[in-house]
Amino acid sequence: MPALSRVALVPVPLGNDGTEFPASHLGKALTIKGSLETTGIVHIYGNVHGQITADRLVIGAGGYVEGDIVANDVRIGGRFTGRIYARHVTLDGSAEITGRIFHHTVTVAKGARIDGRMPWRPLNFFEKFEHLREAQ
Amino acid sequence: MNMFTRNDKPFDTNTASTTPARDKTETSVAPIAETKRTPPLAPPTNEIATPQTRVVSVISKALKITGQLESTEDIQVDGEVDGDVRGISVKIGSNAKVKGTVYGDTVELAGTIDGKIEAKNVVLTSTAHMSGDVVHQDIKIESGAYIDGHCRPEFGKAANKNAHAAAKPAAIAATGSVRDKAGSVAEFGTRA
Repeated sequence: MPALSRVALVPVPLGNDGTEFPASHLGKALTIKGSLETTGIVHIYGNVHGQITADRLVIGAGGYVEGDIVANDVRIGGRFTGRIYARHVTLDGSAEITGRIFHHTVTVAKGARIDGRMPWRPLNFFEKFEHLREAQ
Repeated sequence: MNMFTRNDKPFDTNTASTTPARDKTETSVAPIAETKRTPPLAPPTNEIATPQTRVVSVISKALKITGQLESTEDIQVDGEVDGDVRGISVKIGSNAKVKGTVYGDTVELAGTIDGKIEAKNVVLTSTAHMSGDVVHQDIKIESGAYIDGHCRPEFGKAANKNAHAAAKPAAIAATGSVRDKAGSVAEFGTRA
């Protein structure tokens, strides 16, 4: 798996899917128990219990994720329980978060509910962290 | 008194001038946030769902899943799955790999399965690579398909009925929890 640190640090506007791989789309009725790993984009509208590694992750309104997220860019409009390790995090007004968000930049919309801490980390933290993750 | 009146007037004008401005900024911000919020979250479903005909969930090329997938809708797998897949109509794309059992009403295989298929209707296309048994009621095998395993027309019969009956409540229970969660999200949405 290529290191996420190689991916551009500039947050790419969401919804603009002009990337090499089509985005994965996990619909409302889909439940996954296990880990997800991709170098591309994942949209989650269903349930996921497990670890997710992606370049860009979107948890849509109605989606629910329980576990750890490692990504470059995370956008959450649904519910999430666990830890997020991401350079750029965007929480929509419909977001409900329980846990910790390790970030470099964060955007929180009015109405988002956050139960937990949001520790800032320098960019190299995520590189280090990814190396750790990859080694595991 | 003078102080009050003096203060009140400019203060009023200030607040009058500032609060509408704030309101303006807030109202101008809110629609932007909403418009920003809705298009990336809602249209991608259409954008993604429309190209592939009525496919609800897509596991794309670059995605690897280790674990179980369960859905009460259709699934298209173009990536890699290390575990069982359960759906209504399951399509395994030509570059996809599945290690595990694929359950469904209809299973269309164009990729590789290392495990088992249990489905009412099974279609193995010319690029299919099937290592393992196929339990079916109705099967179509195109020339060029590779099968290493037994094809048993036993789907829905005694031995498998139990397996399928055991499988179905799990799927139903899963969707029940999804609905509960979705319901609670809707509640929070209205509150917020």
